[in-house]
Amino acid sequence: MKLAQERIAVTGVGLVTPAGVGAARTWEAVCTARSTAATDQNLAGLPVTFSCRVPGLDAAPGPRSWRHDRYTQLALLAASEAVADAGLDPRAWAGTRVAVVLGSAAGGISTYEEQHAKLLRTGPESISPLTLPAFLPNMAAGQLAIELGIRGPSLHTATACASGATALITAAQLLRDDLCDIAIAGAADSMITRLCAAAFAKMGALSRRNEQPESASRPFDTQRDGFVLAEGAGILVLERSADAAARRARPYGMLDGCAATTDAHGVTAPDPEGRGLHRAFELALADADATARHVDHVNAHGTSTLLNDRMEAGVLSRLFAAVAPSVTSAKGALGHTMGAAGAIEAVLAVLTLQHGLVPPIANLCAVDPAARPLDLVSGRARQQTVDLALSASSGFGGHNTVLAFRPAI
Amino acid sequence: MDSAYQHLVDVLTDKFESTVADMNPRTTLAELELDSLAVVELFITLQDHYGVELDDSQARPEMSLKDIVSLIRAQLNAEGRAERL
Repeated sequence: MKLAQERIAVTGVGLVTPAGVGAARTWEAVCTARSTAATDQNLAGLPVTFSCRVPGLDAAPGPRSWRHDRYTQLALLAASEAVADAGLDPRAWAGTRVAVVLGSAAGGISTYEEQHAKLLRTGPESISPLTLPAFLPNMAAGQLAIELGIRGPSLHTATACASGATALITAAQLLRDDLCDIAIAGAADSMITRLCAAAFAKMGALSRRNEQPESASRPFDTQRDGFVLAEGAGILVLERSADAAARRARPYGMLDGCAATTDAHGVTAPDPEGRGLHRAFELALADADATARHVDHVNAHGTSTLLNDRMEAGVLSRLFAAVAPSVTSAKGALGHTMGAAGAIEAVLAVLTLQHGLVPPIANLCAVDPAARPLDLVSGRARQQTVDLALSASSGFGGHNTVLAFRPAI
Repeated sequence: MDSAYQHLVDVLTDKFESTVADMNPRTTLAELELDSLAVVELFITLQDHYGVELDDSQARPEMSLKDIVSLIRAQLNAEGRAERL
């Protein structure tokens, strides 16, 4: 059992998602199962012509520099909300004791695509000198460090669609090893580009419901046909519990357990038996000094693909057969925000702890047989006192992560 | 001055978020506090707009906005495309 002062507290959160800028807008959208998918002019002519984009970005306050790729802009916005939410002032903190760990699946890929197109179209003298600082995947972490005066450890984590969760696990390790006192951790992705959309479509991963985008993302539903590409950022402020208490911060919850495993099965398809994810759940529970029967709620990866949802439903059924925790997936409302998902969903998990409310799965009408044993929340948000919530993410490459959260005492 | 100068001012205030007070044709790149990469980016931005090659190696900190407009005008004239001003 971890000593009280060794526990990791979540003291601030920030979200930028297709529901809008700010955690409140996303919470409202997932709790009302509001789909954010819409036809995307930028994808015209491709096999899949819709996505979930962050609205109103140009009107949002804060840095909007030509030096930043869009994914960095999302990260900066979410981070400024999280830091303010934690009651911290970057002008006053000891920057050498602050770390930043940011995940991203694709980094500044839209910059890369635009500049590469320019190179082919008008030659090498026409490309932006900021191309590399904008697209390299670590640069959002670097830009965040500049913006917030962070001088402790800084790095980028990449495990595809688990990148955000991996960032939180890594940040917790930095805190436990006393390499920092505050960790700004999370992820951002903005990879709704023509290349990514065409490539995902080519591999059959995307929903093709072009005529009805708003009903396309339907985790665990029998009519699901793939995920919906989305962009977004989720940032959490993590501190050791004793430090949070000393400055009278009020944590959203405690990150009490972390686990990371790998399928070693295939590059994109998960192990159909879900053995890696199953083990990640067990390890996270052990790390949290808990067992399956203690789990009240699971925020599933639930991407709306045939393979993931079937595999994940099987894993959850076998693990929690006797317990039936409430299960949700935010991807029905928000789409699949790629590397940001693990961080966004960690924020949603602690908001569930705080509000005692489980968001429903959007567009869930007919439950897939594989998921029938599960207590999937649909229709309306459900009031529930949650003492142990798990958040799961899996990524291309076979990376599995599970995070365990408890309420702050 | 003219539409080319106005366009340059617009780019500096919109894209580069320049907050220099009293921006005028004699304002220099140094006074705009644009670092070397930003100067290159400025030239590429203008290059894209006018469809003409602008050699950023000619840029100097003491170069004024009037100098940049002259450079654009000279290049467009040389390519026989002065109407793009």
